[in-house]
Amino acid sequence: MAETKMAAKGLVNRPAEKQSLSAVVAKFRELGLLGFIIVLSLIVQLRNPSFLTLENMNDMITNTAILSILAVGMMLVIITRGIDLSIGATLALSGMIAALTVNAFPEVNPLIAILLGTAVGLVCGVVLGFLIAKMGILPIIATLGMMNVFRGLTFMASGGKWVSAHQMPVSFKAIATGSIFGINTLIVIAVVIYIVFYYFINHTRTGRQIYAVGSNPESAKISGIRNDRILWLVYSIMGGLSGLAGVLWVSKFASAQGDTAMGYELSVIAACVLGGVSIAGGSGKVSGVILGSILLGILNNALPLINVSPFWQTGIQGSIILIAVITNALVKRGVDRNNLMRRNI
Amino acid sequence: MDTRVISGSRAFSWKRFFMQWEWMLVLIFIAVNIMNMNLSEYYWSFDSLRDATMTFLDKAFIVLPMVLIIILGDIDISVASIVALSSVIMADLYNSGVPMPLAMLICLGVGLVCGFINGLLIVKFKELSSVIVTLATMIIYRGIAYILLEDQAAGKFPEWFSFLGWGYVGPVPFILIVFAVCAAVFIVLLHRTTFGRRVYAMGNNLTASRFSGIRVDRMKIIVFTLAGLMAAVTALFLTSRMGSTRPNVATGYELDVIAMVVLGGISTAGGKGRMIGAILAVFLIGFLRYGLGLVNVPAQVLLIILGLLLIVAVMLPKLKLSSLTRKPGR
Amino acid sequence: MEPYVLELKAITKIFPGVKALSDVMFQLAPGEIHALMGENGAGKSTFIKIITGVHSPTEGEMYVNGQKVQFQNPNDAKRLGIAAIYQHVTCYPDLSVTENIFMGHEKVQKGTRRIRWGEMHKEAQKLLDDLGAKFSPRTLMGSLSVAEQQIVEIAKALSTDAKIIIMDEPTAALTKRESEELYRITERLRDRGASIIFISHRFEDMYRLASKVTVFRDGKYIGSWQVNEIDNKDLIVAMVGREITQLFPKTEAKLGDEVLRTDGLGRTGYFADISFSLRRGEILGFTGLVGAGRTEVFQSLFGIEAYDRGNVFVKGEPVRIDNPQQAMKLGIGYLPEDRQKQGLVLDWEISRNITLSALDRFVSKGSLDTAKEEEEAVRLAQKMNVKAPSIYHLVSSLSGGNQQKVVFAKLLTADLDILILDEPTKGVDVGAKSAIYEIISTLAGQGYGVIMISSEMPEMIGMCDRVAVMREGRITAMLGKGEVTQENILQAAMESRSPSEALAGVAKS
Repeated sequence: MAETKMAAKGLVNRPAEKQSLSAVVAKFRELGLLGFIIVLSLIVQLRNPSFLTLENMNDMITNTAILSILAVGMMLVIITRGIDLSIGATLALSGMIAALTVNAFPEVNPLIAILLGTAVGLVCGVVLGFLIAKMGILPIIATLGMMNVFRGLTFMASGGKWVSAHQMPVSFKAIATGSIFGINTLIVIAVVIYIVFYYFINHTRTGRQIYAVGSNPESAKISGIRNDRILWLVYSIMGGLSGLAGVLWVSKFASAQGDTAMGYELSVIAACVLGGVSIAGGSGKVSGVILGSILLGILNNALPLINVSPFWQTGIQGSIILIAVITNALVKRGVDRNNLMRRNI
Repeated sequence: MDTRVISGSRAFSWKRFFMQWEWMLVLIFIAVNIMNMNLSEYYWSFDSLRDATMTFLDKAFIVLPMVLIIILGDIDISVASIVALSSVIMADLYNSGVPMPLAMLICLGVGLVCGFINGLLIVKFKELSSVIVTLATMIIYRGIAYILLEDQAAGKFPEWFSFLGWGYVGPVPFILIVFAVCAAVFIVLLHRTTFGRRVYAMGNNLTASRFSGIRVDRMKIIVFTLAGLMAAVTALFLTSRMGSTRPNVATGYELDVIAMVVLGGISTAGGKGRMIGAILAVFLIGFLRYGLGLVNVPAQVLLIILGLLLIVAVMLPKLKLSSLTRKPGR
Repeated sequence: MEPYVLELKAITKIFPGVKALSDVMFQLAPGEIHALMGENGAGKSTFIKIITGVHSPTEGEMYVNGQKVQFQNPNDAKRLGIAAIYQHVTCYPDLSVTENIFMGHEKVQKGTRRIRWGEMHKEAQKLLDDLGAKFSPRTLMGSLSVAEQQIVEIAKALSTDAKIIIMDEPTAALTKRESEELYRITERLRDRGASIIFISHRFEDMYRLASKVTVFRDGKYIGSWQVNEIDNKDLIVAMVGREITQLFPKTEAKLGDEVLRTDGLGRTGYFADISFSLRRGEILGFTGLVGAGRTEVFQSLFGIEAYDRGNVFVKGEPVRIDNPQQAMKLGIGYLPEDRQKQGLVLDWEISRNITLSALDRFVSKGSLDTAKEEEEAVRLAQKMNVKAPSIYHLVSSLSGGNQQKVVFAKLLTADLDILILDEPTKGVDVGAKSAIYEIISTLAGQGYGVIMISSEMPEMIGMCDRVAVMREGRITAMLGKGEVTQENILQAAMESRSPSEALAGVAKS
């Protein structure tokens, strides 16, 4: 017995753990984000007291709800080392089809509209997933191409016209304004999605396989994971969530247009990288993505309140993405270096 | 086992000569033209075709360096934003009193710097792919254009500036001449110089290229800088044609450009394809769009066609390849 | 007759352009430890991947417990109780140890299919304790050392309760003490009723563990013996195809001036205190366990990853090397360890590969002079005796040995004084091996200073004037003429440092 213990020491000698700053950052990323969100809110509140009013908060949170639903899906895509630029177009297409449907049949149950939109998005996602997983097209190329196809279809479906507030039945608009147990429906839906996906990616085999495929595709194959199926699934989920978000979006803003959510995919990607999802694949948490979405939602909402010109928003968003991915990369380097220093040479 | 000792002669094969993607493009090109002729009686005339080239050649300047980037196995989706930023800065400077020639020079400089920043970031942060880096800079460059010009249009350029986009030298559009010169330079660069050979090597096997003493980082920076510069050239011609500029100018150009490159037979996996294919694809897509435009096909449908074209273009070689590899023993 | 737990008959595997296995057979009896031996490139790795269902054989049949089987994917093999511990650790760096152990056979709740994390963590902890590991199953895999990851790999195989366990070179990166621990674990597995295929090219492993040995060479089955029936010499002949002494054409070269000297070279986390010197005409060997830092030292010296301590002198002049161009300008050439990934552009013709690192020499009037380029390619290819129909042949269609000759030809396009050859005979068949030895010997004779990195003991003994042995990032012995013996090399390569030494190392860094 004593001998085994000795040998064990030989196998695994770990000198006292010295941790670099970046290793600490990696550990407390969520806490840091939360702190940053609070500090930011306080500063904005001091500059403009209308920030933390009930009305503004409600607006902000419902916006963030849609963003975070998409970000959860995008997280799965990025975990598998992919990217999806088509979600803004998918969102517009499914939102438009839902809006046209309720316009034509005003007595339709809003639940049907939601299901219809989700189904449209799902089909878009399945097509994309097929191109990427089965045909082996690079995600960037496939989603860039299909983005235009979906966008074109949206214009064609509507004949280039808008579906505006007065063309939608009250029941449909109520999806976004109504509440369940006194809580706004959008928030309820978003929270349900967080919980479902938290469970899915942490407590089911398929969910964990998504991480495995992103962390090391070669090993995944040897472990008997069907990489193509996982990829297909991930892009289908992303499509379905975009479809759902499309209905919610159109209901909330009470208008469906050909250029709805143009470029919104960039906000979604920004929320993911802010939340610590690694562009290199294999890691990302629901909690991080939620915080990332909230932070981005606050920024979008707060900037006009503290008199930042709306024309600055694009630039700021781009800078956020760049700074976030670079920070992620530097933190990762620091952790790796930390592991190297621990080696005993 | 093969025991012959090596020799240095290569047999010419007609089969190999005709089994090239470029011939396929030529066939499609002819088909597109026949289709267009049937669609519109106005299509097939010298004036019509000449004017057509003027409408689509502006973005063709970016196609040239994009071929290099995709052969490297990378991608640059920020090019359209670089067009917008350099165009907006040029207009802004001119309107605030800078002489036009200097403003144009600065326009090129802006493109160069933007491209250089892309290259530098990609090389310094290898763990981020070129996708994510240029995605970020795409938003940033466009964002700066918005900050500068908000939602205004800027223009009122001097009379002579319109020559770039509208002028002729004899019967030939000026833009066509410039493009021909640029294309020739890029063909030589890619197919006749050590630089081009190294680009192919890097696209095929970056690690081996590094071990062979190629300065891979410097090469990448140069290629991305070239893309920025050519995007600025596009900005010059485009701005001249439109007579004014806005921050949202050239939106979606990256899709056109990438579609042209991929359709030209340049593999997105890197390392394969030729400049001439992409140039053929420029004219193919250009004439296709022009012809469909003549018969009033709406812009949205064109969008769908272009998107599908991109997908089909990347799928075709894969289908061919998989049927080849299934044969055992080659 | 005793039924075999695993039997393979007439297995052939063809990859595009390569016949990796041809008509191979193998029989594994219950409860035995069966050594599978062969040099690098003998087809052992492909063979395992067929047993584990990663590849399917082009031809041939496989039986498990007398039942004919055909695996569609790795899960089929796993279900029949076959597990493998791979040579190159196949892990998920972003996931926890527990997940790495259970990936593909997670414990799930009946009905809800929910993963039972608590139970998995507990069982992983038990497995790790069993193996004497001291890290938590919740640790991220990516933060473990190679030896620690190896333990996780073993735990993975144990967790499936496998009846047939394949170990692919498990000792390649382990020190003597760690190897001993592994032997004990292996024997315990056998005593529990598992049958084990133990792959190694170390004789010591085989004698210590196995009762039976099968030898492959160049993708072919050579024979099977009881371990006590065959002696060392016959086994070498079986593996190598001829006796060692016939293999090495080493001629004595006249030693010239010093061309390279390093003084206290170090790179954090990889190697430290590397000091040696090299003279013209000399072949200096570098050996040690996998992961001892040999390759890292010389990739630093070649400018791939910069060293952060120490000095380098080339021909007496102090120099600083930050990238491969500088190294080549100073006359240092490097033949990389992984020729397919680092040495060649596989989809290219032979001629282009040869000239890639010296393109500037073929420029006239600003453009590439292909005629001149091809002339040089033909000259060098002939000099290296590359066997191919023409220089326009794709490198990917050549055999391993001929590919390696192309890399040698490529090395010679530059004007060099120092050649660093990293595993120059890896994955090369026997005939080509002796040709490569001859090339190396000739080059040394022409006055190049040659550094040869290798794990193959006979190569070190047969070819080198001096041998440096590395262990855990340091040179532990510099063996001169007459001291280069198997015993001395093993001793220096495998003895673990005593705790006090290890402590001293920590204090220093």
